[in-house]
Amino acid sequence: MHYVKCCGIALLAISSVAPAAEPDPAGYLLAPRAFRAAAARVLPSMVTIETYGGVSGGGKKGKISGISGPGDGPTTGVIVSSDGLIVTSTFNFIRKPPIITVTLRDGSQHVAELLGRDETRKICLLKIAGVKNLPVPTFVPRSDVKVGQWAISLGVGYGDDDPALSAGIVSATNRISGKAVQTDANTSPANYGGPLLDIEGRVIGICVPLTPSSQAEGAGVDWYDSGIGFAVPLHGADDLIAAMKAGKTIQTGKLGIQTKAATEQGGVVVAGIMENSPAGKAGIKPGDEIVAIAGEKVQDLTQLRAVMGRFIVGDEVTLSVKRKDGESDIKVILAALPDSPAGAPQVEGGKPGPRPKGPGK
Amino acid sequence: MPRLIKNKLVLRVAGTATLVAATLVAAGNVACAAEPAVDNSAAAQNVFASAVAYAQARCVKLYGAGIGRDHGYATGIIVSADGKVLCAQGVYLAADRIRLVLPDGSTHVAEVLRRSDAIQTALLKIDVPTPNYFDVPDVCPAKKGDWVLAVSNLFKVAEGTEELSVNMGVASLRTKLEAHRGFSEVRYDSELLLIDAITSNPGAPGGAVVTADGKLAGMIGKIIEGTATNTRLNYAVPADLLRKFIDDKPIAEPATPSLVSTDKIKPGTFGILLFTLSGKRSPAYIDRVQSGSPAEKAGLKKDDLVLGVGAEIVHSVGDYQKAIADLKAGVEMTLLIKRGNDIQRVTMVSVEVPSATPANAIEKPVAPAIPAEGKSTEPLPKTPLPIKPVDDEKKVD
Repeated sequence: MHYVKCCGIALLAISSVAPAAEPDPAGYLLAPRAFRAAAARVLPSMVTIETYGGVSGGGKKGKISGISGPGDGPTTGVIVSSDGLIVTSTFNFIRKPPIITVTLRDGSQHVAELLGRDETRKICLLKIAGVKNLPVPTFVPRSDVKVGQWAISLGVGYGDDDPALSAGIVSATNRISGKAVQTDANTSPANYGGPLLDIEGRVIGICVPLTPSSQAEGAGVDWYDSGIGFAVPLHGADDLIAAMKAGKTIQTGKLGIQTKAATEQGGVVVAGIMENSPAGKAGIKPGDEIVAIAGEKVQDLTQLRAVMGRFIVGDEVTLSVKRKDGESDIKVILAALPDSPAGAPQVEGGKPGPRPKGPGK
Repeated sequence: MPRLIKNKLVLRVAGTATLVAATLVAAGNVACAAEPAVDNSAAAQNVFASAVAYAQARCVKLYGAGIGRDHGYATGIIVSADGKVLCAQGVYLAADRIRLVLPDGSTHVAEVLRRSDAIQTALLKIDVPTPNYFDVPDVCPAKKGDWVLAVSNLFKVAEGTEELSVNMGVASLRTKLEAHRGFSEVRYDSELLLIDAITSNPGAPGGAVVTADGKLAGMIGKIIEGTATNTRLNYAVPADLLRKFIDDKPIAEPATPSLVSTDKIKPGTFGILLFTLSGKRSPAYIDRVQSGSPAEKAGLKKDDLVLGVGAEIVHSVGDYQKAIADLKAGVEMTLLIKRGNDIQRVTMVSVEVPSATPANAIEKPVAPAIPAEGKSTEPLPKTPLPIKPVDDEKKVD
């Protein structure tokens, strides 16, 4: 960092006495107090999740969803309703454990039921029964989150009731098709499912592993503690919570087409139609050039993918396609399609356009 | 004194989080136009300069043997005026000649005085005076959330008299890694200070982790991958443990009673027989509770699920067997039990394995071929079996 480069300070000849603190007009040295205060504020709403049984992924050799085992430690969740709804990351259940427990801050441990999940945001909803008046944290409105503001991530994944704290800033407010806030506070399996806080202890989002290039369950974990971390905001996500509470699984909606670049300059042309393709059913044919999607002009494959990332299964999307006989708008109702092989579950089918990167390093 | 001013400021605003926040939002945006009072001079922004310079003057570069993926270089911390240097354990120490480069660029040959397995640390000595050294405190000065500066020879990018690299972060958590969660390669069984600066890089181990006012908080530890998170840990060996090591005092706490293997104490049992027909990886459901056993007295029943034994989490039958493998008689332990949707903690005291009831006595398989715990019809030997850890851990993986 720029402010630790210089060191032209004369030192005493013999010294084991630490230097006096520097003047701190900008308040850097106050920050740790505020980090702790923010963490203390959300702590009552944080829970420890433990899982028992499930697919064995421990050990160095076992690979699940393209990552090496997800670890054996406890994971973190955040209370979102006073009657026992808890949001956490789907990453924490990659082992598909038959038994999940939630420990509240009062030490009481409860068996939890996994309700629904949002695979596009890597979050899911747990429910514990027989509880009331649980503390729900304050969620920050998306519009209040600014690049450069402090961000604090918390999680209990190291196996201690006391959460580990990492501090950084908000790096970007709009990532992964608008689903995530990016931070340079550390995010890793130690805090996936835990909160990313602002300096006042309000929840910016839930820490999850994400990557723009893959939806695979474990994708994004490679970026752990790397300076690139993501949190999905929950402010105003009542519909999403309600859907998960109803047991729904939210998945990326797919067109079911294969694409190629229209010209060297860009543009996207349909190269093939996949089996059971929603686009195919709607009348899209190989050779069609996709000029616009959902009202946005399509520049290239990457942009098409980013726009598609905003939609889920069941959404209706309008494609403007160009053929020899002119341009027309076609409405497509998106569906879930089985992931293409080689871990490239992309809307475009990934051929012959640029191959999306898998979760490998 | 600057420090006094700082403390006053903290006291004044600490009562209201919002005020602190307001101050800090300004702090994070030094160039903010709405804060005319902010001093933008380089000196004012560089609140860590003294601490960094102080630490850099007290760290050394180490070069030794590199074998395969183990790097032959590291960092060290000067801890006395007579040439004592702390560093992390590593293959590089196996070299015939450990080369130590002081901040002035002079090269010296270091010898290893002592090593500690508990904190994976070694104490080196060179034969020249080292007037600049760290005072290693009795108490770690970094609290959770405090700024920490990590000074190290990472990737050996600093050569000769070049200053060591600095990473900044905060102290994340002081914790003890659960030994049973099996950390790969390194046996580090003491407390450590997790930090969020990325220090798990080649060459960084042995580097100094200091607070914003230059006090030694710890030493960057040998690289560890933790199975709790399956990630590399960024951590420091806390300064107070380094102090104990320098003073040659014991570091590791005494082992918990249940793990003390005293020959005179007989192997113990709770009288729980698990359902093991679906293998060691299946959840630890109780198949039978032996009559008159501690488990029966505690009210445990068939189909109860064991989720934990003491501090150990039980994912499976194999975990339970491991957890009680060394159990002695007369040990009080709390089991975490799930019955239906209820979770209970049940405390019991183990009793001696009853050698007179051969068929069902023991809670671990005598041989891997026998499916259920104690379901063997073979009589047990008259003397209690020497209880050993289940040796099929490799198969579990």
